[in-house]
Amino acid sequence: MAADIEFLGIAELGRRYRRRELSPVDVATAHLDRIGRLDKTLNSYVTVTAERALSDARAAEAELARGNAGPLSGVPVGYKDLYATKGIRTTAGSALLADWIPDHDATCVTRLQQAGMVMLGKLITHEFAFGIQFPGHRFPPARNPWNLDHIPGGSSSGSGAALAAGLAVGALGSDTGGSIRGPAAACGIVGLKPTYGRVSRAGVVTLSWTLDHTGPMARSVEDCALMLQALAGYDPADPASSREPVSDYTAGLAAGVRGLRIGIPRDYFFHGVAPEVVTAFDAAIGTLRGLGAEVKDVVIPSIWSSSALMVIMLTEAYAYHARDLRERPELYGEVLREKLMAGALFTADEYVQAQRLRARLVEEAHRVLEEVDLLATPTTPGTTPAFAAVHDPNFPFARSNMFPFNMTGLPALALPCGFAPNGLPISLQLAGRPFEEATVLRAGHAYEQATEWHRRRPDVR
Amino acid sequence: MASDSSDITLDEVRERIRVAGVRIPEERVGLIHGFLRDALRPIRALDTRTVRTLEPAPTFDAAAERDRHGR
Repeated sequence: MAADIEFLGIAELGRRYRRRELSPVDVATAHLDRIGRLDKTLNSYVTVTAERALSDARAAEAELARGNAGPLSGVPVGYKDLYATKGIRTTAGSALLADWIPDHDATCVTRLQQAGMVMLGKLITHEFAFGIQFPGHRFPPARNPWNLDHIPGGSSSGSGAALAAGLAVGALGSDTGGSIRGPAAACGIVGLKPTYGRVSRAGVVTLSWTLDHTGPMARSVEDCALMLQALAGYDPADPASSREPVSDYTAGLAAGVRGLRIGIPRDYFFHGVAPEVVTAFDAAIGTLRGLGAEVKDVVIPSIWSSSALMVIMLTEAYAYHARDLRERPELYGEVLREKLMAGALFTADEYVQAQRLRARLVEEAHRVLEEVDLLATPTTPGTTPAFAAVHDPNFPFARSNMFPFNMTGLPALALPCGFAPNGLPISLQLAGRPFEEATVLRAGHAYEQATEWHRRRPDVR
Repeated sequence: MASDSSDITLDEVRERIRVAGVRIPEERVGLIHGFLRDALRPIRALDTRTVRTLEPAPTFDAAAERDRHGR
């Protein structure tokens, strides 16, 4: 029964709450017990807020009793430790902020708490959402529930690991170069990077102003849609926040993909992709075609310029961290410090040219999305690497299938589409037009309803 | 992608490190060189005289409300 509770989705939890078969306090308690048992191994939480969780759960119970509860009421959630939480330590995975206790909540946290979610705690992030946690770092790294010797992706590493292991029902991640979708892919869960400006970044520690996105992570597309509904919308505290009206993300979720046009950009996205990933991707496309989608190849001419993301990200990250790098360099992990310092090595014209390339990529992607409704690609070229590989300081950044959607700001969803012979998950990426998250989610939901990948659970104990 | 003659060289990276005044251990310069090479490749391939002018900046709203930046 306990395991059943911890892997229920948001909609099912709500149904059981309203039928009085479960209470938010029981569900919060079950999650806290499971965190106590499993997280000594997984390290997904950096701070567990047990008292707060029980207090939130009791408040949700009262709302349910009054008949005022919304769909997220009483649902346990974890926040990436990049999101400011009032009165609760917010570390950004760093020694620099190890004792920072904000006096405010990030807008996303406020919105989910107002929707009645139950805060279980803060989820570990790679240092400042960029650096890998090396042995001896201030905080130990989260481990992948599918194989403890492998990383759970990053930088929203704790979010991915906790969801896969049943240590939260929903989580928040942030995504500058794939940090929502990468952990989703590595951990066999679902992550949505919404359109740039759709969900507020206010109160979230910055990596790159141009590229940072915030968004939901969960074990199903429907759960991501329900969380997005509460998160989306204009926020005056975020200069990039959009006034575009918010769609209804669940109303058309079950409408299927019949007649939807899906484009596959073969160039770039299939370069160096592992054969088992190609096989799983092809099978996923076959499923979508079988459900009535029209599939064709498309071309984004300057797609290879996506690697200019690193110029923008490193330059802006250096600008954000320059003073602390000068004054307190010892509080950064050694390898992160050097990577951030690389941001000082670009020239002003290179940064401007990278932004121009980004503008060209945006224009081309929009043109392609006049021909098709969605783009489909593998989320990552292979399964997630072992700690031993990434702990080599010279471990390179691989070409990324996720970069193009940070460069263009388009909404992109990662969801499980198979498992490799090594037992690690494989992920499908679906991207759509700006502010058309509803279409992306609809296609992802249709795929999920036709497959069982998202129902597989790792054997953690 | 294969190496290209327009790629930034290791010596150029060392020179940039010197000019910027940042401290990067010699054993890590190769890694940083790899970063810069991959990141700069599309920029170095761009002929700014032939591409159509593109605005690099994000949208600027001159009529932004006073409190738009949270102040």
